[in-house]
Amino acid sequence: MTIRLAWRSLWRNKRRTVITVCSIAFGLTFAIFFIALADGAYEQMIEQMVRIQSGHVTLEHVDYREAPSVDLSITIPRQLRSEVERWPAVEETKLVVLGQGIVKSGAGNMAAALMGVEPSSEQATSPVARNLIKGNYLEPADGPQVMVGSEMAERLNLGVGKKLVIASNDVNGTLVEELCRVKGIFRTGSEEMDAYVVQMPISFARRLFRLPRGGATQMGVILRDPGSQKRIIQRIRGLLHDRSISVLRWQEVMPDVATYIKMDKGSNLIFQGILIFLILFTIFNTLSMSVLERQREFAMLMAVGTTPGRLRLQVLVETIFLGLIGCFFGLLLGGITVLYGHLYGINLSGIMGESVNISGFALSSRMYTKVSLDIFLGSTITVFAATLLLGLVPVRRATRISIVDTLR
Amino acid sequence: MITVAAISLNVAILIAAYGLMDGMMKHLVANVTNLVAGEVQIHAPKYLVDRSMYKTIQDPMEILARLKRRGIEGAARSYGYGLVACGNKSAGALFWGVDPAREKEAFDLADHVASGQYLETAPQKEIVIGRKLARSLHAKVGSEVVIVVQAADGSLGNDLYTVRGILKAAGDQIDRNGAFMHRQDFQELFVSGGRIHEIALNTRGTVPLPALKGIAAAASPHADVKSWRQLMPALSDMVNFFDAGMWLFGMIFFLAAALGVMNTMLMSTFERIREFGILKAIGTSPWRILGDVAAESYLLSLLSTIIGGIIGVGLSLYLRDKGLDTSLFIPKDAAVSVSGIAFDPVWRATISLKTIFSPIIMMWFISVIASLYPAAIAARLEPVKAMTRV
Amino acid sequence: MNNLSGMKRSSLFLLLFSFLAPLFCAHAAESLNAKKILDKVDDLFRGNSSKGVMTMKIVTVHWTRTLKVEWWSEGKDKSLMRILSPKKEKGTATLRVGNDIWNYLPKVNRIIKLPSSMMSASWMGSHFTNDDLVKESRMADDYTFELTSEGAGKNPKVLEVTCYPKPDAAVVWGKILVVVRAVDYLPVKILYYDEDRKLVRIMHFSHIGPLGNRVLPKVMRIVPEDKPNEMTEITYEAMTFDLPLPARTFSLRSLRQ
Repeated sequence: MTIRLAWRSLWRNKRRTVITVCSIAFGLTFAIFFIALADGAYEQMIEQMVRIQSGHVTLEHVDYREAPSVDLSITIPRQLRSEVERWPAVEETKLVVLGQGIVKSGAGNMAAALMGVEPSSEQATSPVARNLIKGNYLEPADGPQVMVGSEMAERLNLGVGKKLVIASNDVNGTLVEELCRVKGIFRTGSEEMDAYVVQMPISFARRLFRLPRGGATQMGVILRDPGSQKRIIQRIRGLLHDRSISVLRWQEVMPDVATYIKMDKGSNLIFQGILIFLILFTIFNTLSMSVLERQREFAMLMAVGTTPGRLRLQVLVETIFLGLIGCFFGLLLGGITVLYGHLYGINLSGIMGESVNISGFALSSRMYTKVSLDIFLGSTITVFAATLLLGLVPVRRATRISIVDTLR
Repeated sequence: MITVAAISLNVAILIAAYGLMDGMMKHLVANVTNLVAGEVQIHAPKYLVDRSMYKTIQDPMEILARLKRRGIEGAARSYGYGLVACGNKSAGALFWGVDPAREKEAFDLADHVASGQYLETAPQKEIVIGRKLARSLHAKVGSEVVIVVQAADGSLGNDLYTVRGILKAAGDQIDRNGAFMHRQDFQELFVSGGRIHEIALNTRGTVPLPALKGIAAAASPHADVKSWRQLMPALSDMVNFFDAGMWLFGMIFFLAAALGVMNTMLMSTFERIREFGILKAIGTSPWRILGDVAAESYLLSLLSTIIGGIIGVGLSLYLRDKGLDTSLFIPKDAAVSVSGIAFDPVWRATISLKTIFSPIIMMWFISVIASLYPAAIAARLEPVKAMTRV
Repeated sequence: MNNLSGMKRSSLFLLLFSFLAPLFCAHAAESLNAKKILDKVDDLFRGNSSKGVMTMKIVTVHWTRTLKVEWWSEGKDKSLMRILSPKKEKGTATLRVGNDIWNYLPKVNRIIKLPSSMMSASWMGSHFTNDDLVKESRMADDYTFELTSEGAGKNPKVLEVTCYPKPDAAVVWGKILVVVRAVDYLPVKILYYDEDRKLVRIMHFSHIGPLGNRVLPKVMRIVPEDKPNEMTEITYEAMTFDLPLPARTFSLRSLRQ
């Protein structure tokens, strides 16, 4: 009975109901969208970085982190690698060889960071591949061919097809020199990379550093679902019998990035807090005002015999209805916008320019929102619960009026 | 009244939120430019291509004097490549000959020391080095190092120095091969004859970038003037990226605040429909009602937004001076770095015309519009209907 | 390796087909000569061991210097160099053993070990790199070569060997032209070209005279093509070859003297 009364009283004053429902609905939409956007941006950043660097999970020599050096290499048994690649959670694995050396040409010489990569894996993600200005990117069958940056090419007078000699120390410390040719030139816009990084097929790098077959500095594992990181690490550890190889999370390999994200998420939380406060305040305000508006109505009801308890119950039920309807629409609208943002992204090129280069990571100027049940449910439940709680205050006040004064 | 309170609060929060967002962006940039790069740098043309010892700035003293007349202090620096050896380890380094007093004043690097201290004001054959360089040399504070360089006159410059300090993360270049020494020590070692290769300007954000660039260009007609955006395109891009993100967030905040304001005005105006009905019944014209409502809400909104503005400014001031310590979210001794540079986790708001006035004006506008809708309805209604609305 | 078996084959031909001998003989002799020439140039200053004194004059756009240096060397990978003048640098010494290089600096009385990346750095600011001065490679190994006469004109007094790097040889040059005296194969000049066949630098040899128990060009001058007013010139004052050198010559202790 109370329920029916509540329902009808809601619809008697449509615009008040509509306004209240709208504030709940839109509030929820904003909250959902904001969180999805922020989380989506982080995920985007992490996913890109992880693919460019050494994966969500990295295998490397136990001592490598402390003192990176090419002689601290690992050899991953072929069966292990193919086994890991078969796991559904794993998207792909990649091997890299990292070292230092000197690049010499007829015009001079420069220090260089040498990267031996697997061209098939790097093609899609490496900033080197994506910022080619001359020539072509490496292919799996390539021999002693390298990619050099525009700054290095200029200083050493190198063009596509020109030769250069790489001098370095192999794993035994012996000086080695190898001839190779420029296959392509890249410009990432980061002077660091363009003057210092030289990329080569991993087979050539192995030859240069005299690494054993299948040797590498790191193996990166890229996951389809970043959440499976811990589980995958366990499994890999179970398969590995080699004590000299450690299996690390990307947070340990790129601790600066991890800490920065944590700190940034912290500030994000503050923003979210402010937003939620704003939204809840609006809802509270709306509910309060509607109760105030209805003082005459309440006074009349009590004057004709409705008990305060009954009245409070009715208002409570009204609030529940409002909450349910508002949250329903909020979830719907929020869900739609987030889904759109996820599939198509939000085009910010008007503000940012066509694409953005962050130290060689070409991030597209679209931001993608994250679709996650957590976000949807969490926000909805929060807003609904808050609505109820906030609604209690005006409910109490509704019955504390003096009938006589109000009806005057 | 609730209406005033509600609108004020919305405006205040919006102002604070914008202040924080703006502050975050400026913080990101300042973190890098305040460290040692500065906002604008002056060099001889093509100097940065190879940092040749011989590509020096013409009349550096003149340039510094001209800058000073415009109220800007420049930091003059000399550079040279060479070798640092500690024990049986050695590594190539880029040596910076600086004026420690000026550097301390205009930049933050002096406070950015992980162990030991920054350079003294008097030359004492000491160096401050990047953390990765220290690691490759296995050097500690107090370690003796041998520096060997090719001096400007072709001779072999060499001397014994002591490590006075080791820096925190300061960007990959400095980490890997940065070694700072007193300008006079540099001159003696490199026989550099007072050559200056770079004048760096840092106003800590007090002078807008285009103006600063203009002043620098005017003061150094034969030199190359570059802003941090050209010197560090990667950072510039990152800033643009985050800027766009902030814009989006700002939009959302705006909508939320607008919603709040609109709701409040709608409800409070609708509340008064009975009133309007009575007025109509006694013969007031619809236009008059509308006009009255408009005027009232105009004033009400103005009052609310101004109050909100005051509260907002107060809040922003607090956030600017005290700031929010985001290091609460990260483990105790973790080092945060942005663009490879150790980051100060205290987040401050900035106050500017943009962050204060645009929220005030926009919210005012919205609240006026929001009140007109119900007024229009009331104006059109039949008096009886309006009066008996419950 | 190719040339050795070529030699065997041509000997066979000579024996069995003497009527064809003149043709083959000439060709084989030519390639033999070319190799001899290259080997002679490579081994000009090499011996099982050697020691000597030289003056190095360096002219760059920004300064001019003259150094006097004494040195000892043994085999392919041991060498010690000490500066005798100017006074500011007197006593500075560089020791190389295998891939390790040490420097002694008398002013601060310290020995420092150089990173191996310094091999490509210029020695003392000259136009020679550390690599150049302790060169291990042999032109005959890394290049294919033939006797040519281009550039030297019809001058019968000189012979020319043109060298092109073998496809896998780790050398930066695209072509090297070695010009020697026909009479004794002593080098007159060597021209270094990059891959685009652009001349990068020229090494001139002159002032042939007795050095130790050999007759050698006493003056070597390097001129970079893109900076013609710069050059580095080495004048050998005295040299002794294949002398017995005590083991401790190439030690850190002797660095300090």
